[in-house]
Order: sequence, then structure tokens, then C-alpha cells
Amino acid sequence: MSRQRFDPYAILRQLENPRTFFVVIGGLARVIQGSDELTEGLDIAPSLSQENLRRVGRALENMNARRVDGQPLDLTNLNPEREPVIELTSDHGQIKIVPEPAGTRGYEDLRVRANRERLGHGLRPSVASPGDLVRMMESLDRQPDRLVLETMRRVLELERRPTIEQ
Amino acid sequence: MTTGELIRSARLRAGYSQKELAQRLGMASSSIARWETDTVEPGYSTLRRVLQACGFDIPPVLVPYERDPARDAQVQELQDLSPQARMERYLVRLEKRGPS
Repeated sequence: MSRQRFDPYAILRQLENPRTFFVVIGGLARVIQGSDELTEGLDIAPSLSQENLRRVGRALENMNARRVDGQPLDLTNLNPEREPVIELTSDHGQIKIVPEPAGTRGYEDLRVRANRERLGHGLRPSVASPGDLVRMMESLDRQPDRLVLETMRRVLELERRPTIEQ
Repeated sequence: MTTGELIRSARLRAGYSQKELAQRLGMASSSIARWETDTVEPGYSTLRRVLQACGFDIPPVLVPYERDPARDAQVQELQDLSPQARMERYLVRLEKRGPS
């Protein structure tokens, strides 16, 4: 099976169409916030309300999303402890559903500090804040991510730098 | 490790419940819960007091931290772009790289 070209706009459009609630996390969120990495795939932390999970599920079906482990795609019984990450392939590239990202308490925790970022094409997804992205990376503590973590800490410093009123 | 994880780790290693630790500190157990879930972050002196109540401490030690001017400049350059421009730049780089 050939891998699909990653098209984050197409994935976000499908997810936003049925008015789903989610926060973009992971590599693409870091890119949007100012990291220079070359990630592939879109990671999201969805709201865990049953109605939202049904909508996310329908949006994923519209992209022919399939779980990489071959299990049926049913998001209505998400259990973060049993299954912290659900990996999918789709017509537009890889997608990861992360009910409770490391170091956070999931969507309800992240959405408070997330920003709806204008990405063009009429899309304004909710993207995790630099502080939360750093928090997730620090919790995962993966050696290959050290440089990215340093970059995100710098992004956070710049974000917190007080502005001087003219 | 987050501050909340540090507090929780110290409390569990000391064998205290949140209520027991709160009693030792003379505060509400809800404060401990909020710290441990990183909902609220205690100040440095409070953090040390909490850890000391558990029999631990974090000494105030300064370690050298060297900035990387090249990375700082790159981060600043990207911060000057809009999120949309960052996405567009990223997609161009991804396209150039080709399939991984």
C-alpha cells in the first residue's frame, strides 16, 4: 500500500465540516506555533463527549481513515489508559487521535489555552498553546525531541516576553 | 517533569495522602490537588515548603545555560510570520523533501 501525500488542509477541512471539537497537538501544532521541524501527520486531542466522537468518527470515515492495527474504527469507547494513541491512515495522510496527551488532562484542559489560528483556506483550527506543547514534550521526555523542545521553549519565552508600550 | 508531577512524586514517596500532606502544611487539600494536576503552579518558596514537608528538597543551584544564537534567530524569524505563513513555508519544505 502506498503512503498518501500528507495534506493537513484537507484533513482539517473534513474535521471542521461537521463542527467537531478538537485541539491540534503534536508536530503540526508546533510548526504552526513556530517550530522548524518537518513532521508528517496530524495529531488531535478531541473532546470526549459522545456526540463529538461520533462526529469525528464520521469525518474520519469520509477520509477513508483506517486504524493501522486493523481494528474497527470506533471512537465512542476511547480509553486513554488502555489505548493512549490511535494511529490512522487516511486519503490525506496519517492522523493520530490522542484522548489524553502526555502531561495534560485532554481536550478540556488544552482548549482553555489553545488559540484558533488562521491557517488560510477558511480554516481556523484550535491549536495547542506553546506552553502546553512544551508540557507534553517534557512529559514524554524523548531524547530525539531535545532540539525541538529547546526550540519550543524559546517560542514560549518569546510569547511570554512583555511587550513595551509605545 | 512538571511541577505537579514533582509534588505528586514527593508526596507518594513520603506515603501521604493529599489530605495528610495538606494537614501538615495547614492548607486545604484542594490546593494540593490543583498543584498536582498543574491547574495552579506554586511559587518557588511554596514548592520547597511542600517538598520539605515530604522530606525532600530542591536546592537552588544555578547551572550554566548556553543560548544558541542561530536557533534563537531562526525562532524569531518564524515568530515574525503568521501561522498561515508558517504552514505554507512548512508545506513547501515538505514538498521539496518528497515522500519519507
